[in-house]
Amino acid sequence: MEQIIFNGLFLGAQYALIALGLTLIFALMNVLNFAHGQMYVLGGYMTYLVYGHLGLPFYLGLLASAVTLLIVGALIEKFLFRPVIRKSVREESTMLLAAGLAFFFDAVLLLLFGQKQHGVPKIMDGIFKIKTETIRLIVPNDRIAIIVLAVVLIVAFILFMQYSKPGRAMRALAQDRMAAQLMGVSVERYGMLGFALGAMLAGVVGGLLVAITGVSSGIGGPISIKAFLMVMIGGAGVVPGAIAGGFILGMLESVGLTTLRDYGDITYLVIFAALMIFLSIRPNGLMGKPWG
Amino acid sequence: MSVALQVRGITKRFGGLLAVNNVSFEVQDKEILSVIGPNGAGKSTLFKLISSFLRPTSGEVLFNGKCISGLSPHTVARIGVVRTFQETTIFRHMNVRDNVIIAHHLRASAGLTGFFLNSKQAIVDEKKFGESADEILEFLGLQECRDEIALNLPHGHLRALGIAIGLATNPKVLLLDEPFAGMNHDETTKAVEMVREVRNRGVTVLLVEHDMQAVMKISERIVVINFGEKIAEGSPQEIQENEKVIEAYLGSEDESIGI
Amino acid sequence: MSKKFLFGVAVFLLIMLVLVPQILLATDRKDLMSVATSIALNSIIAAGVWLTFYIGRINIGQGAFALLGGYVSAILIVHYDVSFWLSLPLAGLACAVASVLIGLPILRLRGVYFAMVTLTLTEVGRLLAQALSLTGGPKGITNIPPPGALEFFGLTIIPDFAELENLRLGYYYLAVVLMIICFAGMWRLVNSRLGFLCRSLQQNEELASSIGVNVTHLRVLAYAISSFCGGIGGAVFASIVQSIYPNTFPIQESVNYMLYCFLGGLNYVFGPMLGTGVLYLGWDFLFILGQYQLLVYSTILIILILFLPNGLLSVRLPGMKRV
Repeated sequence: MEQIIFNGLFLGAQYALIALGLTLIFALMNVLNFAHGQMYVLGGYMTYLVYGHLGLPFYLGLLASAVTLLIVGALIEKFLFRPVIRKSVREESTMLLAAGLAFFFDAVLLLLFGQKQHGVPKIMDGIFKIKTETIRLIVPNDRIAIIVLAVVLIVAFILFMQYSKPGRAMRALAQDRMAAQLMGVSVERYGMLGFALGAMLAGVVGGLLVAITGVSSGIGGPISIKAFLMVMIGGAGVVPGAIAGGFILGMLESVGLTTLRDYGDITYLVIFAALMIFLSIRPNGLMGKPWG
Repeated sequence: MSVALQVRGITKRFGGLLAVNNVSFEVQDKEILSVIGPNGAGKSTLFKLISSFLRPTSGEVLFNGKCISGLSPHTVARIGVVRTFQETTIFRHMNVRDNVIIAHHLRASAGLTGFFLNSKQAIVDEKKFGESADEILEFLGLQECRDEIALNLPHGHLRALGIAIGLATNPKVLLLDEPFAGMNHDETTKAVEMVREVRNRGVTVLLVEHDMQAVMKISERIVVINFGEKIAEGSPQEIQENEKVIEAYLGSEDESIGI
Repeated sequence: MSKKFLFGVAVFLLIMLVLVPQILLATDRKDLMSVATSIALNSIIAAGVWLTFYIGRINIGQGAFALLGGYVSAILIVHYDVSFWLSLPLAGLACAVASVLIGLPILRLRGVYFAMVTLTLTEVGRLLAQALSLTGGPKGITNIPPPGALEFFGLTIIPDFAELENLRLGYYYLAVVLMIICFAGMWRLVNSRLGFLCRSLQQNEELASSIGVNVTHLRVLAYAISSFCGGIGGAVFASIVQSIYPNTFPIQESVNYMLYCFLGGLNYVFGPMLGTGVLYLGWDFLFILGQYQLLVYSTILIILILFLPNGLLSVRLPGMKRV
């Protein structure tokens, strides 16, 4: 039981970060970023290169992931999404672009790194044990470190959005684009920043998870789908929704994979079915705004 | 005169907020009645309740003695109570004439299959809709921009288009949502005239409005709400002299009340 | 209907029914015959997606219905000995019924929510097919016999496919004829009042309901037609490859159908056909690039959307009319 909860928290913290990035991009640009999972994978490979391949410290690997995705995200926004949004009649056209980007990243990553799963040395040895009458928990130290890092990042992100000037500007933009524009918030600048930040979050999680699960080129698509799930659960475009969605999905997965093990691979089937029912009752997720 | 619309003790609660509280009034057949109130008084909630876009927490709205609360908006439209929207709500990418033609939907005698197979009835329908649309556009002075894409219309014309869409459904009661908002003096004068003519076609008009001057000019009776409750009802004359109303408007530091 | 339009249709029919098969037969490119068949089938499936776009919903769940259609047809043929020709409409109907049940709750969702839910729907389809025993689990259903003869009062309308001299040609004609019927229906739908009403939903559902349009009814109807197309396409596809697996229509395919529609242009009824043709052929031709296929394909895709964000048909060639 304790083990299941721990696993749920572990997954949930990572998922929440992924969902935060996706929801940020959605809230600011009204773009459903199909390539989010691929950005995550790219981040994973950057950490793999710096930490696993070059043997530099892990935090440098994370930094490399963050910076790469920050730049990639900014460039994509400026040179691809912005012109398409400007020229297209229907705003859904950006989905085509996002899907094209997902294919593109998949292709590049496959060419560069092949299909093989790449792992890195453990970032920390040892295990952590609690054994009392009520609780029995055995977890590797590196997982705890990753959870702590992820939670720190989530908190930092919330503080940034809440108190920094760019954070406030982005929130204003997400809430009411027109009003924010009238008040002098530059849509172009903060759209770009938001996209870059969203991509960066995906990249950092990729870097974090490389230390535990390794990275392989084909997992981008499935990660995107999970990110969509979380956003749907929590509600698109809202920060607390993304965090809640992340933790809920993490927990569901952890519980499902343990309790439904005997029935084969139906955890996701159950999660999907539950989600459909949930969404038909609450079309905007837990805390989403109407009109998604 | 008979009663067209009856609002009986209608209440709407959003969570802890009481947006509309036990409001009752009647709209006579073929009269122009306005609901006014300061910003945030619950006007638009009341409007949505009457047009069935919201379901009341309690109370009901009767049309010709039959309860229409809780029915879906399209059913209410079918019965003859049709609302308009503020200006941005039009079929933006269709031309003006098509906007009005499509609003004839309720008058169709052919079914969807009939239209798909282009049955005789469907052809007759299409022809009738076209003629009727042209007549309505002419009536509201929109005939010149009938081929314009709705999106490109100027302000005043958009409002007229909204009314044209409403008229095309052949309503018995037309609910107008702030038809004079954002208009200058000349535009308002024109619009007031337009609303009067709509009524002269035999349509009962209920409008929710902020602009006091226009309301005083046009309405036969006025209902005033504030903080979700009805505070006064009567002729424009009576309302202008009602102390509660003056207080409500002054209290909200709003624009002139037009006295 | 203008003369020009009729002329265009005639030329198109001539090309599809006579010219293309003759050329392919003459050059003996069997593989291209299969490609052409696939394009026709995929455009049927994509046409369904296009219709949901037309009522203002982004549908990335068509793979689920193609899969369902394939399974329904396969199960009927293999387990119940039903003729292919009967299983085909039944597959479409099964999808339509399923889509009504699913559509009633999920069509209330808008924008990205609907997109995301339908995306997961594809995954649900795959997982369900894997979990059930009726569908044969991960092994799927194999050895589906080709369509038998269709006889009507002793008159053979369609010969038994197993006895055909050229099976591929038979399938080509089957797919192309279905595609023509599908797009003719779609064209009529869009140009009738129904299309008008769909456009009204696309542009503003609230306003549409205020003028008396039964919005729920209409969007479920559109979704059912859309899924019907998906089911038909899936059923024929299963028959051609004589098998169906849970992975026959993965998420990738659902995304592809959406891309076909986008690329063709969402406002043009023949958009999905053009989009499918261009993307599918493009993908196939790029096969010679080996491992760089996906890279070049996606790059071209990105460039296309960058310069033609409103679809290929938004380019106004002289004499072309907006549908």
